[in-house]
Parts: sequence; C-alpha cells; structure tokens
Amino acid sequence: MRSVKLHARLLAAFLLVLGIGSIAYQILVQKVPLTESESDPVWVVDAQVSFQARDNTPIKARMYVPPLESGFTALNESFISNNYGVNVNRENGNRVVTWSARRADGRQNLYYRLMLTSRFAEPATAPEDGPQFRAAPPLEGPERLAADALLAPIRQHSADVETFVSETIKRVNNMESDNVRLLLGGDRSPENRARVVDLLLAVAHIPAEPVHTLQLNESRDQQPELWLRTYNGKNWLYFNPLDGRQGLPEDRLVWWSGNKPLLALEGARNADVDFGVHRNEMSALQLAQSLRFQDQSSFIDYSLYELPVPSQQLFRILMMIPVGVLLVLLIRSLVGMETLGTFTPVLIALAFRETEVIWGVLLFTFITAIGLSVRGYLEHLKLQLLARLSIVLTFVVILMALISLVGYKLGLSTGLSVALFPMVILTMVIERISIVWEERGGGQSLKVAIGTLIAAVLCHLLMVWQPLVYFVFTFPGVLLVLAAVMVIMGHYRGYRVAELMRFRAMTDEGGR
Amino acid sequence: MFGIRTWRALRRRGVLGINQRNGDYILAYNDRRLYPLVDDKIRTKKLALDAGIQVPDMYGIIDTEQGISKLQHIVETHGDFVIKPAQGAGGDGIMVISDRFEGYYRGASGRMISPEELEFHISGIISGIYSLGGHRDRALIEYRVRSTDLFDRISIGGVPDVRIIVLKGYPVAAMLRLPTRQSDGKANLHQGAIGVGVDIATGVTLSGTWHNLKIDRHPDTAHPVAGVQIPDWEACLELAARCYELTGLGYLGVDLVMDKHKGPLMLELNARPGLNIQIANDDGLLRRCRIVEDHLDGLDWNLEPVARRLMLSKREFAVARLPETPEAP
Repeated sequence: MRSVKLHARLLAAFLLVLGIGSIAYQILVQKVPLTESESDPVWVVDAQVSFQARDNTPIKARMYVPPLESGFTALNESFISNNYGVNVNRENGNRVVTWSARRADGRQNLYYRLMLTSRFAEPATAPEDGPQFRAAPPLEGPERLAADALLAPIRQHSADVETFVSETIKRVNNMESDNVRLLLGGDRSPENRARVVDLLLAVAHIPAEPVHTLQLNESRDQQPELWLRTYNGKNWLYFNPLDGRQGLPEDRLVWWSGNKPLLALEGARNADVDFGVHRNEMSALQLAQSLRFQDQSSFIDYSLYELPVPSQQLFRILMMIPVGVLLVLLIRSLVGMETLGTFTPVLIALAFRETEVIWGVLLFTFITAIGLSVRGYLEHLKLQLLARLSIVLTFVVILMALISLVGYKLGLSTGLSVALFPMVILTMVIERISIVWEERGGGQSLKVAIGTLIAAVLCHLLMVWQPLVYFVFTFPGVLLVLAAVMVIMGHYRGYRVAELMRFRAMTDEGGR
Repeated sequence: MFGIRTWRALRRRGVLGINQRNGDYILAYNDRRLYPLVDDKIRTKKLALDAGIQVPDMYGIIDTEQGISKLQHIVETHGDFVIKPAQGAGGDGIMVISDRFEGYYRGASGRMISPEELEFHISGIISGIYSLGGHRDRALIEYRVRSTDLFDRISIGGVPDVRIIVLKGYPVAAMLRLPTRQSDGKANLHQGAIGVGVDIATGVTLSGTWHNLKIDRHPDTAHPVAGVQIPDWEACLELAARCYELTGLGYLGVDLVMDKHKGPLMLELNARPGLNIQIANDDGLLRRCRIVEDHLDGLDWNLEPVARRLMLSKREFAVARLPETPEAP
C-alpha cells in the first residue's frame, strides 16, 4: 500500500511538473497572453518624406528603413506613394527603399509606415559579426598630436574595448580640453562629436560605426538619435556618443547604420523627413492571429487555435469537462454532497448551456418530478424494471414535447427550446434517479437529485466562466495539473464536511 | 472554528470516514472479484453450508417460469417460509408466509394470499423486478426466522439483527439493529431503524443511535436499549469471524439473526458496511481497525485460529465501563 501511495505521488508530481512546465513555457517563452483581454502596445511609426520635384527630371529617392529583425515584431509595413515605383533591397545590413518616378511636379509626399510590437519578438539578431580591427586613418600635424595626446590616458584608464570606448566618449565630451576643441574645430553638434569619437577609435584600430535610432514613444517630429556601436568579438556594444551611456534602451529602434544620410535624392530638392510615432493597443490574441496571416511563427502553431473555428468552439466546451469533473470530485470527496455519479452533473451542466440555467433548473425539476410520479404510479402495476423505465422515458419525451408546444404558443420559444442534447440527458438522469429510488428509497433519491442539481449549477457557472475557458483552452497543460489533483484526491483519506455533521454526536460538544 | 475542532475530535477518537473506509479498507482488503459471493444470497448460503456455518435452511430455488409449479412440492412439508429474490437489495421483494389455511397462504401481517398471487410474485422475482439493473434473478425459498422474545420490548415488528464488522477475521465492532415503526419492520438504519452498540466482550447492548443521534430509549416503546444480553454471543462472534475464511473479503459486515430455536444464523454478508456502527458504539472504527492491523503486523503466521482471534477482539474491544443495567434481562 505504501509503495502504491508513493507511486501515485510520483505520478501526480510528474503530471504537475509537466503541466506547469508547459504553461510556464507558453507564458514565458511563447509570450502567450494570460487573459483574453490582455493587450499590447503597438507602435505605429510614420516617416513622411517630402521634397520639391524638379521639372522634367526623373526622380529617385532612396531612404533607409529599419531592418525587420530589430528586436521587435513587425506587424505591417507599407509604402504609400502615388505614381512611384517602390523597391526594397538590402545594403550592408541596412534596408533601403527606393522610390522612383519618371517625372513629377511640385511638392511630393511619400509615406512609410511600420507597425511594431514587442510581444512575440525574437531577441534582436545581431548583424553579422563585425570587424575587430581597422587601419588607422592618415593624420597629419596638430591633429595627429592632439589624437595621440588624448589616446594616451584613455589607453591607461581602460581594460578592454568596452571601457576604451566609454573612456573615449567621456574625453571627447570634455570641452575644457584643447585637444578636443582642436579636433572638433568649433562644431559641437552631436554628429561631429560622434565623428571625433569614431576618429579616435580609428586611430586606436577599434572599429566602430554610427547607428541611427528612433525612440518608440508617442511623439511627433522626432529626429533619429545617433549612437555608436562596436564589435568586441562576441557582441555588438552600443554607446551614446554624448554621455557615454552604454547599451541600447529597449524602446529604441535601430533605423540604419553607417555614415550615409537617411535620404538620398536625385532630381529633387528641399528634402525633408518627418518622423511620427504613436501608440495603439491591440489584444494579444488578435496580434498572434494577424501574425499568423503573415506566415510568421506564433504560439498559434501547434495550439488549439489552429483548428477550424467550429472545432475550436467544440473544444472550448470539451476542455472544460475535466474542470467540471474535478469540481464534482471535490464536492463529493471533500464536501460529501451526494450526486448521481461523477459525470452526470457535468452532463447536466452542459445541457444548461443550451437551456440557460434558470430554465434548465426549472425544466430539470419539473420533468424529473413528473417522471418520478409516473414511476411511482407504475410501481403498483408490478412491471419489470426495464419496461417501467421505458415507459417513464416515453412520458418524459411526451412531456417535453408538450412543454415546447405550450411554450411556443405562449411565445416563450427562446427559453424553452428543448434541444436534443438536454433531452437525452434529462431522460438519462430520470433513469438513474429511478434506480436510486429502487435501491435506496425516495428520501435518498430526493437528496441525490438536489445534490446533483446543485453540483450541476456550480459546474455550469464554472464551465462558462470566460477567463477560465480562455485559460484552459489556451494552456492545455492545465488539464495535466487537474489530473495531478485528481490523482492526489484518489488517496485523500480525510473526513468529508458532511461527515463532520454526521459524527458530531461522537465529539464532546455534540454528545447529548 | 467548528469544522477544525470537530475534525480533530473525530481524529482523536479514531472515527473512520467514508473516504478512508473506501480507500484503506474496502479497496485494500476486498477483492472486487469476490463481490458476487456476497451479492447473491444463494451463493453466500451455499458457501456457508459447505463450511458448516449456520444459515436459515434453504427449502428450494426457483429459477425458471416452469419451475414455479415446483413451489407446492418445495413447501409441502413446511407450514411457514420466506420467499426472497437472490439479488434484491434493501429488503424489497421479500414475502413472509407465516401460516396456511385451506389452500391459501397467510402473510406476516395476517393477510390471506392466494396461490396464484404467490406464483405471480415469484414470477416477478425471476423476471428481475427486484434485482438491480433488471436482469433475471432467482427466487429463494427458505426457513422463516422466529425472533427471540428477548428483544420484544425494544423492537417493533420485523426481526432485529446483529451486524458485526469483521476485519481480516477479527470482529472489531458489533451493533444490534432494531426495527421501528418508521422503518416499517426493516432493520436498515437508512430507513429509520435504530442501531445499538454491543460490547464485543460480553454481548451486552450499550446505548444506541437513531438518525445519527445518540439515544438511550427505543423511540416507539420508550424502553432503555442498553443492558440487554444478546443470547449465544460466543457463537455469534465465532460465526462472524469464520465468514472471513468463507469469502476472503478482509473488510466485511456480517448480518446475523437470533432464531428462537436454532440460535444465531448468518443472514447476509456486506462488502461495504456502513459507518453508523461507530455512533452506536460511541467508538471509532479506525482506532479499532488499527489495533487489529498492528497485531497482524507483528504476527509471524498468516492466519490465527478463530479462538485466538476472538480472544484478541474480546480483550481489546471490551467496554471497560459497562453501563448500569436498570432492567437486567
């Protein structure tokens, strides 16, 4: 017995680990939303390109757009432009869109829109390994001296590429230094400072490249911010050239890298690019579904959401049956309320789906009462059990037909539509209550019937509770957890609540 | 909190709950395959007869419609008898014939029954009216037990019986079940009969239980139920203990009746006996079962002889303080 108990506990633990593991995997790795209503920010990034077209010249506008594997999931990308040809291609790890037209007049507006979300995103795949060495640029005269003078202490105060870059940025931003001022040549713009940092790093043979990033927060006319990145042999390291901050914040989107300007125009002038970012909310479930239509992998693969919709509806009901069964098990083993078997209350609960609870309870009570009185009458005739039950069931069907008819005449058709399924279940219930009646008497069967009804109503309420339905349907691992609880309950040896009442006479407070 | 305190109090007293009874006793000791032995009264009776256990004499079995005509022949030499369905439950379908008169039969209540009516009843039994699940059954015709008059003052109608719970051949608890008006002559606690605890050591009744309450007097006769000596107690215990070898069921309820002339007779066996016997004895079954189980653990032979088993039961389950007996039998 003891070894059996251990075995059962191991089985329960195994099921529990498996179930919780699968749920955890879905939540933590697949990022499946916990509730149906859980929503995620969706960032809509708009870039508006406007320029003045020159007359009678072909126009070609080349603009960088973000690479799609940037740590965000791209939901949608669109290029909106009238009369322009659009072409997207890759160039040194960047993506470039080329708008082209034979001729155009006046002010031209081109739009680029990208919708991004951070859910379901793979971590940003680093651009392929970068170089770890570059040749020093030829520097002459005072610039050479200034660079060397700056680099000497930097070398001393740094241990590796990472600290070297931070140290360099710190020095370059120190305007007190004459060397820095000489290298900057009076231009203190961020771009120029970045250029000087890059130059110093180049002299030290450390490769670095500027990247242009956009911040994802509600904003209009945002300008890309310049960052530097360098490759240390394993990872790309990002630095802010103004304050030496290291590491790209999570809300920054890399738009392009390199020294070239965002937009390159041929046959036009007065170019201007405006960035606008705004935030939308979208339910995580919708998100996953819209990703699926783009043939992107999402948690929907290999989940019940992949089934056709009618089957999904069916499984939303089926997956809740173990939940109801567990509830009945607990009601019986812990509370001690008597019900007709384990499955019957759950079946009645399913029938309530079609009749609605109130009508279901009334119908159940009324038809069972009539069915049992017919049975009571037949008892006098000394009929065989099977014949007696058959007659009872026949009358139940007649009764249902009458109820439906009367209901229809009174215009109550919605509430009283007795579908096939509830009807079959009701007749079955009456059969089983009759058997209890035969076996253990009328009072007992009444008790059992009331217990069954209460259990069925509770089951029904639990089984149609939407958050739970969503959870069980989305995380089928829940069923393994339920099974583990059931295994444990199979070895539950404690008293039932009803027994505390029953044996109360045997305690000091209950005795006499 | 009420629940926790009651829980602890019940645990302390070693009260057995349904979950534990089902899991640790019925499931562990009673092999499902053996159930048919006790579900069919005819099989139980044949087993008992082979083993020399006293049961009400079997006069005959009728298992076919054609066989009904044998009834006359079967009961030829008996003035009174009982007809039972072999697989009936809750006492349904039992017909007691107490006398005969001019070719008619007289029922227990004094009603006259025609032979046709009797045959119709048997035909009903055979076709399965009283059997659960409605399958065909057999009718059993047997000796009518005559209740001893010892219990007259504390029972109304029907025959009182003694239920003894036997664990692995050791009687652990006993209860005298007395019909009341409410129970309509049936000795079934569910139907309102009272259960009276019995001291295993002496066979003297203790206080009783009725509908989960503790009671001291019979609700109909108002006589105290305690202090009545059950006759032939030693024989009762021995008979109950031997039912373990008879069936192989380790956790068993043995129902006995006291016949005026023949002494204790085994009436029925039950593979899942109820728990109210604990209230009747005001003692927990779990406590008592544990004693037997501990004893068995320290035992080097498989099965002790009946006498030794009874000795243990009497020693361990004697009620130290016997209730005062206002009216000794």
